[in-house]
Amino acid sequence: MNVSHPSRHLIFSGRYALILAALALLTGCNNSPYSVSQQNKKVLYLTLAQDVNTLDPSIAYDVDSESLTELIYSSYFRYDHLKQNPFQLDLSLGAQMPVVKPVTYLSTQPNGTKKEVNGQLWTFRVRPGLHFQNDPCFPGGRGREILGSDFLFTFRRMADPAIPCPIVSYFDQKIEGMAAYEAYNRKRIAHHQKTDYSYPIAGLQLVPGHPHMFRILLNQPYPQLRYLMAMTLTAPLPSEAIQKYGAKIATHPVGCGQFILKTYVPRGRYVLVKNPNRPYLTYPSTGMPGDRKAGLLQDAGRQLPLVDEVQFNIIPEGTTVWNEFLQGYLDITGVSQNNFQQAMPRPDVISPDLKARGVKLRKVVSLDINYYIFNMDDPVVGGYSQRARLLRQAVSMAVNSKEEIDLETLGLGMQAQWLTPPGIFGFNPNYVNPYRQFNLQKAKALLAEAGYPKGIDPSTGKPLVIYYDNSAVNAQGRQALAITQREIDSLGINLVSRSWRNAEFQDRINGGRFQFTSWGWVADYPDSENFAFLLYSRNKRPGPNVSNYSNPLYDAVFRKMRSLNDTPQRAALIQQLTDISAPDCPLIYTSHSEAYGLVQPWLLNYKPNPIALDGPDYLNINMQMRTHLRKSWNQPQIWPIVLIFGGIFLSALPAIGVVRKRSRRHLRRDHTGAAQ
Amino acid sequence: MIGYIIRRVLYAVPILIGVCLFTFVLFYLTTSPQDLARRNLSAKNPTPQQIKDWEHTHGYDQPKWKQFVRTTEGLFLFRFGKSDGVGGQRIITRIKQSWLPSFEIASLSFIASLLVNLTAALVIAYFRGTYFDSAATTLCVIMMSITYLLYIIVGQYTLGRLMRITPVGGYLPGWQSLHFIMLPVVVAVVAGFASDTRLYRTFILDEINQDYVRTARAKGISESRVLFIHVLKNAAVPVITNTVSAIPGLFLGSVLLENFFNIPGLGNYLVDAINNQDFAVVRANVFIGALVTIIGFIMTDVGYALADPRVRLE
Repeated sequence: MNVSHPSRHLIFSGRYALILAALALLTGCNNSPYSVSQQNKKVLYLTLAQDVNTLDPSIAYDVDSESLTELIYSSYFRYDHLKQNPFQLDLSLGAQMPVVKPVTYLSTQPNGTKKEVNGQLWTFRVRPGLHFQNDPCFPGGRGREILGSDFLFTFRRMADPAIPCPIVSYFDQKIEGMAAYEAYNRKRIAHHQKTDYSYPIAGLQLVPGHPHMFRILLNQPYPQLRYLMAMTLTAPLPSEAIQKYGAKIATHPVGCGQFILKTYVPRGRYVLVKNPNRPYLTYPSTGMPGDRKAGLLQDAGRQLPLVDEVQFNIIPEGTTVWNEFLQGYLDITGVSQNNFQQAMPRPDVISPDLKARGVKLRKVVSLDINYYIFNMDDPVVGGYSQRARLLRQAVSMAVNSKEEIDLETLGLGMQAQWLTPPGIFGFNPNYVNPYRQFNLQKAKALLAEAGYPKGIDPSTGKPLVIYYDNSAVNAQGRQALAITQREIDSLGINLVSRSWRNAEFQDRINGGRFQFTSWGWVADYPDSENFAFLLYSRNKRPGPNVSNYSNPLYDAVFRKMRSLNDTPQRAALIQQLTDISAPDCPLIYTSHSEAYGLVQPWLLNYKPNPIALDGPDYLNINMQMRTHLRKSWNQPQIWPIVLIFGGIFLSALPAIGVVRKRSRRHLRRDHTGAAQ
Repeated sequence: MIGYIIRRVLYAVPILIGVCLFTFVLFYLTTSPQDLARRNLSAKNPTPQQIKDWEHTHGYDQPKWKQFVRTTEGLFLFRFGKSDGVGGQRIITRIKQSWLPSFEIASLSFIASLLVNLTAALVIAYFRGTYFDSAATTLCVIMMSITYLLYIIVGQYTLGRLMRITPVGGYLPGWQSLHFIMLPVVVAVVAGFASDTRLYRTFILDEINQDYVRTARAKGISESRVLFIHVLKNAAVPVITNTVSAIPGLFLGSVLLENFFNIPGLGNYLVDAINNQDFAVVRANVFIGALVTIIGFIMTDVGYALADPRVRLE
């Protein structure tokens, strides 16, 4: 009689229980990278490729760092979220537009003498009742009121030689007494002493009896100061925080923006939550034509921010970012080479799959300019002789910007005619630079006219050699280099590449030890002055005028232009600057960068802004839609695992049979004692 | 054995100094303090004065021998100092923050791989000479030919996007970490399966033909008992060599896994430091890596002695 042993039942029932438990565990599994507690919160999920360099507002100057500092810190002004052409400044911490008064006074020169200058006195007024975020650096941990002195402290800190403030050169020679303050403290630091913040700066003034007011005295007209006052670099900083945290302010910000940093996990995430002390700001009620139709004014008048939290996930790998976006766990993503084909079958057209999901494609032209540079001090390519001018014009006309954009950046980019990018006052969409139209025949003719027929240098009888200094070290850089070489070699010129390590490259450029190179410039603020100064002779190397272009006429028009507000007269001066510099060809303007963004259907109010990074302050989320779509996109599928294990089991069946057979053989031998 | 261990520890000192010197020389051959300064100063084109100030603040203006002595002394005293990056975070603080996720993934992968691979190797050895053996060996060769990166991408696609049972990336601390490390552990086990299984199979087959195995069979001991008890114990020495050498990875993290699965571990810390040319962090990580590797080797030797009574550490 075949009686099964009770333990056998137990073993089998245990196995079934294990299988059931495993199935239950699998069905309970999900692919959400967020905790359950986050699911019902209005959290905006964004990404960063790596940890940001710093959250110190006096230093942060790269896109990633500013993506956070612009949410944590607030400045006197902020850029309007919707009005972008031209960009408009709105008051943020400021109570009123600054009052600018021309003044004539005796300025102290570096040698101690006095000189009468025509300057400007700017008077600012901070909104009363605004507070810094709560932080242990304040008595009782409650953020104290923001005063005019906090703005002045920020300026003093920016000019501290121990703080590598990136924009100090924009104002240290303009604010009365700041250069002397810098020089004094530089000496102290050389003697291992701390910076003396009490050293007087005549140009930074408090207004007695008005703690919310402060003044800045400039030794020259500088209307661009209003743009500097919109940068987080000039946001008010509490001196208490600097005293308590010192350099740790880079990871422990104490601001006055719409959000505060709640959590930072290195290489993990930054979590920002609403600042209870945030300044009262509302969503704009007016925008550009088409904004209402695009649904960008639905939240008009509502208090900012519109989400509870912003979480920046640090994800270096494009594949992971793309997967999480497709699963709905990221609200916005960029289009990179990794996902270009999947996102867009051709430029400006979103793929049918993404379109069916409701994903929106957004394009933004960056406020930048990419260009090649001739060293104007070089005896061959530089100078202002007709021969050198013709040579530069010929090279300029041999450079095919469209081809470069197509091959190097997948067609993303706009051909540049001059320095100013679109979106900035002074950009002329109808302007066609006669020396920036690709025309190889004309380029060859110009080269022959310059005395280099078919690119042959008559002094040597060989092709003219031009050295191209660059820092192309990666594959992308080398690809761009090969394209440039091919373009210029097509004239018969021999373009010889010299690739350097970055520091060496910078040293060569700053020292003028180059003939020809490539460069780029990104706007600090949306003003043509910030681009036109790339050819202003006072900004020569190591300043931003890398070509060392020097044209007295250009300089005179530039000085006139920079002191004007945006008027038709100013636009005419900018056009004049274009016309003056174009025939000299000190630079070969190639492109203004463009970028694509993909936005989930539930994200509201998204309008990319190339100059401001405070977009999350304005974004909103349709939570119902997000929850529903995420759920439908991420239903766990168990069948593949059943299939895999089923397959393994079936393929193992013959093996199991063999094992059983061998075991039985042993058993029989054990019982009989005879070999089978 | 104690004397042997003390001697090995003393040998470690010149090795570690050599590692520090090699790292130092390599750094100055591949980059320069000016490069670091430019990278870490946020200005578009930092002035020579700003670069000089940065070098002074980070001690790169001192004579090179002084820099080497100062930094090496710090490493030996476990005073790793601060990062060269903006903000200058203390390196030890970051290591304390990052070691646990790395350890979780690496230790689970280590244990799971050891169990799965050894079992698989024994099963394959059991069917030695059959079609099953040939098929399994061929499969191992195919799996070994596939790049690690593909396992990661396929893992993310299969478990994350197709089956939707694990996140494709991310990490939360505590018990929630299991939810996130499941996929990297599965990928690590699958990716390492073929090479280790094949290796262990060879170790086991070497033992299977020994006289003591024949004797055991002759005494009527079942094949499974022979394999899992007698053969496994004697194949332990080469297995220990292979597994203990993986121990440093438990502490240092897996660069690829952490990068793709977005795990805030030590592997990522090192990658970021290399990308950002953060010499202070690279130096500290290389030192810790060398130290843990030396400890791993000593542990291997001790493991030999414990597993095989014939081995004497003198």
